[in-house]
Amino acid sequence: MTCYSFYIFDRHTECIYSKLWARQDRPLSAGIDPSSIPASNGGAQSDLGPARARPARLSAQDDAKLIFGTIFSLRNMVRKLGGPDDRYIHTYAHTTGNGPRKWEKMLIQRNSFISYRTGQYKLHYYETPTSIKFVMLTDTQTLNMRNVLHQIYVNLYVEFVVKNPLSPVEHPGGVGVANELFELALDQFVKGVL
Amino acid sequence: MASASKAARIGEEVWKSRVDKVNAELVTLTYGTIVAQLCKDYESDYVEVNKQLEKMGYNIGLRLIEDYLAKSNTMRRCTNFKETADMISKVGFKIFLNITPTITNWTSDSKQFSLIFDENPLADFVELPDDGRAQDELWYSNIFCGVLRGALEMAQMQVEAHFISDILRGNDSTEMRITLIRYIDDEMPMEDD
Repeated sequence: MTCYSFYIFDRHTECIYSKLWARQDRPLSAGIDPSSIPASNGGAQSDLGPARARPARLSAQDDAKLIFGTIFSLRNMVRKLGGPDDRYIHTYAHTTGNGPRKWEKMLIQRNSFISYRTGQYKLHYYETPTSIKFVMLTDTQTLNMRNVLHQIYVNLYVEFVVKNPLSPVEHPGGVGVANELFELALDQFVKGVL
Repeated sequence: MASASKAARIGEEVWKSRVDKVNAELVTLTYGTIVAQLCKDYESDYVEVNKQLEKMGYNIGLRLIEDYLAKSNTMRRCTNFKETADMISKVGFKIFLNITPTITNWTSDSKQFSLIFDENPLADFVELPDDGRAQDELWYSNIFCGVLRGALEMAQMQVEAHFISDILRGNDSTEMRITLIRYIDDEMPMEDD
């Protein structure tokens, strides 16, 4: 399983954090000359998965806007199609806390938008009741990552961003989110899950 | 009610296993110091003190909601305001203060209820100033109103909360009234130009 990128959007629809991981394998990006890719994102590696491996280059900002537009529309569509149904289904997902991997029962709102998959990648989505949206792009083989996103929220975002007394309550432009502890822990956590 | 007993179970479990505890007297004394200092700073203008306490609470609430969601492992929004009330009392107050205020006096449209505080850790050992005004003007625990307003606002509920009686004032009970004003809509993304 490979994780390509990760985004957080706040309740004002702004992208307050994004991270791209370099891809180790490069099956689908043949034909694209890595040197033609502009060195955006502060010296990130050139081969960055589907988010970056498009012929038409978009800035990281446009990427985030596109992703937000997609999840926003999809979420609303899922809700409209499903109707005002507030029943819940039980499902099982594996969690990786500090301890060994285990399967945990979790409750998912029937109408919530969880993920979508294309031929190239899979997008996972989790929204907190406070309208913070977590998005992760992975390869297509990855199983349900909703619980992983929830863990990122509980163990990393709340611990290192919300509880940091120096970071503001709202994060316009991402102020206070990308602090060292959060970045480090996120990187380790994602590598640990994979 | 099913959701009430479920909320009570969650609250109990989280309080037992996932919450760092501090000495209750430390909380009482710290809060007392804050209120006393505010009374001094605003020269016993208790209306202003109430306002400042509410504002402090509001700013606490804005962040506390995230900690609440993380600790209680809440993955979804409440389906109605009654469930919200249960979660506030039996999970929120339980995990942060180890109290469960009684929910009562619902209006028929289910948009307004009271929380009765049988115990209130903030108000232990407290006597209001004996200047003839504090008894009528100061809402000692007004920070709670702000916390609820801030926390619920982040969960897309605009509420109004105020105390209507306080044992410290000589009333029979400490009662807070909470009114749901509206559910806040999602913000729309800005148009690209």
